[in-house]
Amino acid sequence: MSIANKANRLTPYVFMAPAAIILAVALLYPIGYMIYASFLDWSPSQRIGEADFVGLRNYINLMHDAAFRESFWVTVKFAAVVVTLEMFIGVGLALLLDRNIKGMSFLRTIFILPMMIAPIVVGLMWRYMYHPTVGIFNRTLKDWGFEGIPWLSDSTWAFVAVVMADVWQWTPFIFILSLAAMQSLPRSALEAAEIDGASEMQKVIHIKLPLMLPVLIVTLMLRLIDAFKVLEVIMVLTNGGPGLSTEIVAMRIFRTAQEFQELGEAAAMSNTLLMVLMALTIGMFAYNKMQEGRAAKMQAMAAKGTA
Amino acid sequence: MLNIKTTVVGAVSALMMTTAAAVAGPYDDYAGTTLVVNFPAHPHYDAVMKVLPEFTKETGIKVEVDQLQYLKMREKQTLELTKNKGDYDLIAYVVFSKADYVYADQLENLARYFMNPKLSDPAYDAADLVEGYVGNIGVSGGEKGYLPGPTGSLFGLPFGSETSILGYRQDIFDKHGLKVPTTYEELLDVACQIPQLEPGMGGLASRAASGHDASHAFLLHLAPLGGRIFDDNWNPIMNNAEGVAAAETLKTIVDCGTEGAATFGFAEAAASFLQGTSAMYLDSTVFAGQVNDPAKSKVVGKVAWAPHPVGMRAGSQTGGFGIGIPRNAQNKDAAFLLMQWLTSKKADKMIALAGGNPSRYSTHADEDVNAKFPYMATFGEALKNADPDWRPIIPVWGKINADLGTTMSQVITEGADIQTALDGVAERTKAIMQDAGYYTWQ
Repeated sequence: MSIANKANRLTPYVFMAPAAIILAVALLYPIGYMIYASFLDWSPSQRIGEADFVGLRNYINLMHDAAFRESFWVTVKFAAVVVTLEMFIGVGLALLLDRNIKGMSFLRTIFILPMMIAPIVVGLMWRYMYHPTVGIFNRTLKDWGFEGIPWLSDSTWAFVAVVMADVWQWTPFIFILSLAAMQSLPRSALEAAEIDGASEMQKVIHIKLPLMLPVLIVTLMLRLIDAFKVLEVIMVLTNGGPGLSTEIVAMRIFRTAQEFQELGEAAAMSNTLLMVLMALTIGMFAYNKMQEGRAAKMQAMAAKGTA
Repeated sequence: MLNIKTTVVGAVSALMMTTAAAVAGPYDDYAGTTLVVNFPAHPHYDAVMKVLPEFTKETGIKVEVDQLQYLKMREKQTLELTKNKGDYDLIAYVVFSKADYVYADQLENLARYFMNPKLSDPAYDAADLVEGYVGNIGVSGGEKGYLPGPTGSLFGLPFGSETSILGYRQDIFDKHGLKVPTTYEELLDVACQIPQLEPGMGGLASRAASGHDASHAFLLHLAPLGGRIFDDNWNPIMNNAEGVAAAETLKTIVDCGTEGAATFGFAEAAASFLQGTSAMYLDSTVFAGQVNDPAKSKVVGKVAWAPHPVGMRAGSQTGGFGIGIPRNAQNKDAAFLLMQWLTSKKADKMIALAGGNPSRYSTHADEDVNAKFPYMATFGEALKNADPDWRPIIPVWGKINADLGTTMSQVITEGADIQTALDGVAERTKAIMQDAGYYTWQ
């Protein structure tokens, strides 16, 4: 092989090198550090080198830790509920607003406002709105002659309260991505359907949604990952309480590191969360790939049929 | 001739220097030094900031203050204290950090400074420092490891410490002819009478939010009602009759509290009292300064103070901050001089007048201080019963505290059975203590 040939073959790697180095330093190193820390009995007063190696003890402790199991269950419940609600409302809104109405661009900006507010502020805002006496919800309820609701002091209502705040903040994210996806759909397919006499509903179910599916799956995944990690809003609203009713895993990790001073166990929790999210992501990509494969096969068959 | 002149001048200047050395102040060697200190953002330390220029004027030692929110402070200190050469010469620490810092050998033992005649001020009068504070915040290595005792030594001085005190609405108590509670029985009785006498008003504003707040509120009642978290052998006993009584007390207080009391944190409980929706307040003295501040309070001039009510014993909380010298500090001697100056009688009074929490009995009894803050004498009385052992200061406390706090929150909001709930905490605490090696000798 000539030198020029060799250089040619090396070129792509040279171009990739900066990205690979940054990836290794900024991503793999911290993750490696966290994995290593999860095998240590490490308090923040020690340097990492002084911490005792305890093998899998942190992970075994997690299995037996009822509070961690509880927080894991709360997280799964929270993520499932908020993401489902957000997907329905977000996609629904996008379907409704995908048309030329006067002042639409202004409306769209208004709709995505909640997403732009810092989570701590969102938490504080909702906390005041849920306030038992001066909050707008209870004041309105009382004005209408109803009893006030113990928004943050009852475990079921507290869960509802954090779900409401999250849905308010993150539905716009789904909305804006679905709207973008919808507007880039091939007009030809919709026009063909119109000519065939499809109703609006049929167009949505048989054309718009299936064509938007790849984008929706990515959106769903992004939201799901985010919902598993949500911290600030819940921290401000309920601090995980009452009891453990709104203590999601991210909150538990924060407290384990900050209050209990157990960095090793916190790292083990983070790794467990990371593994769950990885499994979810891989699962969803695999599903997407399968769908694409099926679509390609059908297309190929259709092409054969017409040939 | 020249030689004689030189000799004379030399002799005179040598004599002058010797005289100067003989009358040199203790601070002269350190004048021009700049100390870097880490203080929390806290009303006491805000008052300290007003007094610090006086120290520089008097000693020539400059002080640079890094003031941080107190949870952030802990994080920053954890990093700072593990470095070879630290940036901080003096740090303020929260009482429960004492266990971690001393155990990790990160704070200077103060004995060698108090032994040094060039540094230690004979007029310091350590006996005048509030004993409960010194025991709680300064001393480690005695009884149970975290308390004073024959084997204990001093690692810090109380500075910005606080105890618990009962604040009550004098106007409401007068209006209904209520007696200021001195015992727990009377306290609960009055607390539950008030919502009936004054519709819309709660009895006692208490913390109750899940976690640290609920745990703090429980402990506040546990010590006076005769309970403890551990017996002398580190066996958890918070689930005994006294523990159950403390939890019942807390639940009654919250049930007779104002609307939303079940999720009050420190700020909400204080706000409820300041806004006039609760008739009593039983918590830290640090809050007292705000009561007569019209910008924050709607109850200016209507509040009077009494000592923490007595149960089976008198026992008010001890907490807040202390100051210590990090092992990796670079100007330790000068830092000691600052620490000694800040906790001296003179500075303690100046800080108290600027709105801080005094650390000395004499300041609590001081006429000028009482003229400005009439409640100070009551606080001084309450401090005689300050209990340094109302909560254990051990490295694993954070975990037990959180468990206790979430369980108490379940008791308050979900009506969980108190005995069963506390039995659960005791069982989990036992496992935590086992892991941490507290039963090695049993």
